Amino acid sequence: MNEEVARHRAGVGRPPRSLVSANLLIAVLFAIPGGYVVWRAATTGGGQFATIASRPTLEPLWRTIQLGLLVSTAAAFIGTGLAWLTTRTDLPLRRFWRIAVPLPLVYPSFVGASALQSGLTPGGIVHDLASVTGISMDLRLHGLFGAWLVLTLFTYPYVYLPVAARLSTLPTSLEENARLLGDSPVQVFRRIVLPQARTAIAAGSLLVFLYTVSDFGAVHLMRFETLTQTIFRTRLFDQDRSFTLALVLLVLALVVVAAERTIARRGTRTQVVGDRPALLVPLRRWSAPSLAICTLVVGLALFSPAASLADWGTSGWTRQLRGGASLRLGADDVLGPMWNTVWISVVAAILAIAAVLPVAYLLTRHRTRVGGVINAVVVAGFAIPGLVVALSLIFWTLHASPFEFLIGTLPVLVFAYVVHFGAQAVRTAQVAVSTVPRRMEDAARLLGAGRIRRLRTVELPLMAPSLAAGGGLVMLSTMKELPATLLVSPIGFRTLAVEIWNTYEAAYLPEMALLALVLVAISALMTWILIVRRVNYLA
Amino acid sequence: MLNRHHRPTTLIAITLLLTTLAAGSTSCGGDDGDQTLTVYSGRSEKLVGPIFAEFEAVTGVTLDVRYGSSNDLALAISTEGEKTPADVFLSRSPGPAGYLDDLAMLAPIDTKTLDRVAPTDRSPDGTWVGFAGRARVLVYNIDEVAEVDLPGSVFDLTGPNYQNLVAVPGSNSSFQDWFTVFRLRNGDDVATRWLDDMVANGARFYPKNRAIIEAVGRNEIRFGLVNHYYNHQEVAANGDAQRSANHAFSQGDDGGLMIIATAAILDQSDEKELANRLLTHLLSDSQQRYLTDTVYEYPLAIGVDAAETLPPAPADTVGAMQIADVAAEFTRTIEIIEASGILDQ
Repeated sequence: MNEEVARHRAGVGRPPRSLVSANLLIAVLFAIPGGYVVWRAATTGGGQFATIASRPTLEPLWRTIQLGLLVSTAAAFIGTGLAWLTTRTDLPLRRFWRIAVPLPLVYPSFVGASALQSGLTPGGIVHDLASVTGISMDLRLHGLFGAWLVLTLFTYPYVYLPVAARLSTLPTSLEENARLLGDSPVQVFRRIVLPQARTAIAAGSLLVFLYTVSDFGAVHLMRFETLTQTIFRTRLFDQDRSFTLALVLLVLALVVVAAERTIARRGTRTQVVGDRPALLVPLRRWSAPSLAICTLVVGLALFSPAASLADWGTSGWTRQLRGGASLRLGADDVLGPMWNTVWISVVAAILAIAAVLPVAYLLTRHRTRVGGVINAVVVAGFAIPGLVVALSLIFWTLHASPFEFLIGTLPVLVFAYVVHFGAQAVRTAQVAVSTVPRRMEDAARLLGAGRIRRLRTVELPLMAPSLAAGGGLVMLSTMKELPATLLVSPIGFRTLAVEIWNTYEAAYLPEMALLALVLVAISALMTWILIVRRVNYLA
Repeated sequence: MLNRHHRPTTLIAITLLLTTLAAGSTSCGGDDGDQTLTVYSGRSEKLVGPIFAEFEAVTGVTLDVRYGSSNDLALAISTEGEKTPADVFLSRSPGPAGYLDDLAMLAPIDTKTLDRVAPTDRSPDGTWVGFAGRARVLVYNIDEVAEVDLPGSVFDLTGPNYQNLVAVPGSNSSFQDWFTVFRLRNGDDVATRWLDDMVANGARFYPKNRAIIEAVGRNEIRFGLVNHYYNHQEVAANGDAQRSANHAFSQGDDGGLMIIATAAILDQSDEKELANRLLTHLLSDSQQRYLTDTVYEYPLAIGVDAAETLPPAPADTVGAMQIADVAAEFTRTIEIIEASGILDQ
């Protein structure tokens, strides 16, 4: 065995120059939105830095942190619990849950939040159905509680998907031993499963935090003034303040990303992969409560907004039947946008994985200082609101790069998705890289397999479940993305999210509802084909 | 096992194929000498799409329309700067157009086009023209409120009869437009006191007009300060099931205001003549009739009457006010609204 391999194994060797260059290039590209924020805050907001310490800044900042922590904690619990139940137990209807559980992620924030809100409040279908069965729900969804509930329900899949991917590749021997020694399922979960899934949980919670602090739709509807709300309100007539606050948001994100990386690095560095089907824990008397929990979460997060949407949609049909206004929705409004949504989200997901894989190799296999910086740049970018990402790309393409001819073309749009959502695939890609045992790679290398061939035949198949989980997050996020799609897409390029927004803007509620249901159905199908089957690869 | 090994390759192949397809589909755009005009529209496609289609049919000109929120599109145009592809910008309210005007990005519009509307419905320097109006009104629940109990003035709403009964969309841009004019007409002291009194009187904050119509319709709250057309849309959709109606404040009261949607031509445009034709088309009798009969807006072209179902049009429009420094005024408006605490109600 040569010296290079030995160093490589120890994980201390200098990373190959090609890997470092690739990483630097990726970091530069991902730094475009953040760089734009810094530049704008420094130039237009020059005199505004004093306002950072003022009350109108600190109060939204505090509310933002509060909401971010509450949502990510709750999402961590729900996501981890559901991941374990659906991958490692004999929970009834597991196939169904595996498809349904990640889906709430696909509701565009403004649609999901308003459907949930009107469904649960008086006059809404869920509220009324519940009162028919004798359950009185007197929820007024607004403020911190409303924002917390809605965001938790729509973001726990960020934890669920990576954790489920991790759990489905865990070696079973430890759990088997623990159970043979008499541990209950709960004890097995706490003592064996949790420590192994820790990094995946931290990674998912980080995404939830970043999503929460950059969300506009839900907090706007719930009347909870976070930094992002203030950024949006002041974006036109007080740009100094808007960009200064965006910078504050970015700094907050960088701090949180750095904190998470510290935790992740303390975790197990080498993650083991099981080589046979994962052990299913028999739930026995816990079966019913477990089912109840799944039903409650998925019922609230997926089906109650869907019920409101179906309610609005049918009101359109019945209106038409009664001779009222007919549905203003043709096949053209659905089919073209549907196809665009499908292919562009798949392309964005694959390219995002390709973009973050080198980062994952650098972070997992080498301890370098530059790795931390690149990680921060790539991951913290997720906290920059989509509108700012779009503006930064418009500025960069037209005024600061040789790519002016690309403005208004699909490559810029796909680039926007990758830069904005790539962060979602970084941690799962790290998990993926760490699941490839060094000895296996070394064996392939010694047998004379080239870099590309090793990647293709040895590493990618092993990494597939984790990569698919991260790619799935990017895919679902892309499917609902709006601000960048509206501002940088080729004119006339429509996705389902664009059509939903169009009908929402015109207050065509039934049409909006039907389109949103189509979006949910399509994403269910794609989640099943592209993610669930892949995450179960080794299960 | 073999099959599995092929999957990543297949995925890569699919990506390449899709990217090629996508590239192919964009490159076949028409560069065949036809005239093309690029429009950034802050009004929804469902509302103005038919107007554009008619223009294309009549003139043979192709319109490339980018839809989005008015504020975001104005930001995009200012970020694009002199390289903006936009020829025409349609905005929900004069604010975003005024923002671009302040950046000297708008071109003067032909006098003939400007003269289609009253001087109060266009910018003093002729850089934008109103083409449709939305009135600020009070929406109320028709089961709970008798018509005789409706207020004549927006100042009545701070009284005990309206305690805990009024919804205010404090963060909504139309409300902020209204409040800016309200403030400029009455002075900061009066305006601030009115808003503080509203908060003290238990006014409730709702983020959107539509949310207020829904809440009033199901009697979650009794009154709301809103734009008029949402209620017309809900009534058109739901018929008698919609239990809300619009009330216009007394003629000349500060509570009533017409917020006008505006059209502007970008100074950077190479097609200014064509752009002026599009604006003339927007203000033509037939398109103005469409706007009021089909989408319930107030027509602004002189000589075109509003649909009969609409409440009386308010006398004041946002355009009538000469606002020296739009940005500063809106900043001040937002400061006062934030300080009042209405957003936390």
